[in-house]
Amino acid sequence: MVEQKFVGFKCKACGRVMNPKHDRCLTCKGTEFEEVELPKVGKLITYTKLYALPVGIEMPPLTLGIADFGGVRVLGQLTTDDPKIGMLLKPVWGKLRKLNDKDIYGFKFEPL
Amino acid sequence: MRDVAIIGAGMTKFGRASGDLMDLLAEASLRAIKHANAEKEDFDAVYVSNMMAGETSHQTAVASSLADRIALVPAAADRIENGPASGGSAIKNAFMAVASGCYDLVLVTGGEKMTTADTDIITDLVATMTHPTAEYIHGVTLPAMGAMLTRLYMERYGLTERHLAMVAVKNHANALKNPYAHIQRACTMEGAMSSGIIADPLRLYYVCPISDGAASLVLCPLEKAKKFTDKPVRIAGFGQATDVQALQEREDPIVLKSVKIAAERAFRMAGVTADDIDVAELHDAFEILEIAESEDIGFFEKGKGHLAVEKGITALDGELPINPSGGLKARGHPVGATGVAQAVELVWQLRGEAGERQVKDPKRALSCNFGGFGNNTVIHIFERGW
Repeated sequence: MVEQKFVGFKCKACGRVMNPKHDRCLTCKGTEFEEVELPKVGKLITYTKLYALPVGIEMPPLTLGIADFGGVRVLGQLTTDDPKIGMLLKPVWGKLRKLNDKDIYGFKFEPL
Repeated sequence: MRDVAIIGAGMTKFGRASGDLMDLLAEASLRAIKHANAEKEDFDAVYVSNMMAGETSHQTAVASSLADRIALVPAAADRIENGPASGGSAIKNAFMAVASGCYDLVLVTGGEKMTTADTDIITDLVATMTHPTAEYIHGVTLPAMGAMLTRLYMERYGLTERHLAMVAVKNHANALKNPYAHIQRACTMEGAMSSGIIADPLRLYYVCPISDGAASLVLCPLEKAKKFTDKPVRIAGFGQATDVQALQEREDPIVLKSVKIAAERAFRMAGVTADDIDVAELHDAFEILEIAESEDIGFFEKGKGHLAVEKGITALDGELPINPSGGLKARGHPVGATGVAQAVELVWQLRGEAGERQVKDPKRALSCNFGGFGNNTVIHIFERGW
């Protein structure tokens, strides 16, 4: 619930921006990073509507997708039931699921 | 390094088993030991591949328990866990132990008991392999990953749902000839294409079932194999490689880079190429994976694997039969057992012991055991050692 900025992690040595965070840069093995905000608009590259849910997710279908935010791809739940490849999305903060009876929050993607 | 041979292979029937995990591991092990004519031998070590005994059977240290159960004591015993590629990893560890000269007689047994838990629990347990913050917390499951890869294929290479159904029909037909297979039911194109949706565009018939089962191999130095069998199968090479964990972070999410690199490593070690392989067992947890792996291993050009299925090249009587056992789709996928079961099938195929599903006179075979969602793959190449 603490982090509400939609960010990537930029390697101070080579400049590569990564999401998720790694302890060493995947390109140069650098160990120093700074948080940088990712673009507010991403493009959907693939998706699925999931009907066979794991425990902790309540109502099928769960729509999941991968979107490209300025060269950094991020996976997340989609707030629409009618996704289209190439559609533009923005990150919005919200409840993702329950884990061990606790509500887990994170970014979902909403069509522009 | 010494040449290493597989001298015996055995497995349980896959499916919904009445026995528990230890029953399955013991049954498969004793069958392999009998097949190897090694019933009175002292084993140096046993490697047990298993992914989730702690979670589904409330039991840990299952390798030590198997050593006790089938009187291998005081053999060394280790449990090997590498998700759904645990079996491949266990074979690799056993191979290295024998090749190095450390051990002379080694048992590899993989097993999983999965049907005791509810489907949503198993789905969640398997999903814990995914990236904890970038994938898992969003509700991603393995079928969801398979579905997103499938959609990329449809967009870029013109693969259609019919191609997924063709793989399912082929693998179900092969499994009908395999008495060890979980699903022994013919599947039609219409049946597959009207089954329920699991993760759009994947239907039930494009996804492997949840199975119990175990499979086992006996390994020794090739130079000592003659004492046990006239038909030792030589492990000509292996390759293993990892990739970035999150699918979306890979260089190109449509390329299974760990498969590519593992295959290159295995071919280099064996001194052969993809053209030298006569039969293969690939990891079709989702039917798209059989197609994608067949390309990234190098059997077919990238983006053309579905055309090979269409032409019947991968059928039992085709130029390169893939998954004569029925694959994960129809033989079943007890996760810790799968990599070992692939090798068991290929040992039988090379020795001409595969019954009704026997491929015509194969000399060399390849297995691809795909861990995580492709972030840890183990490939083996097997050939006749006689």
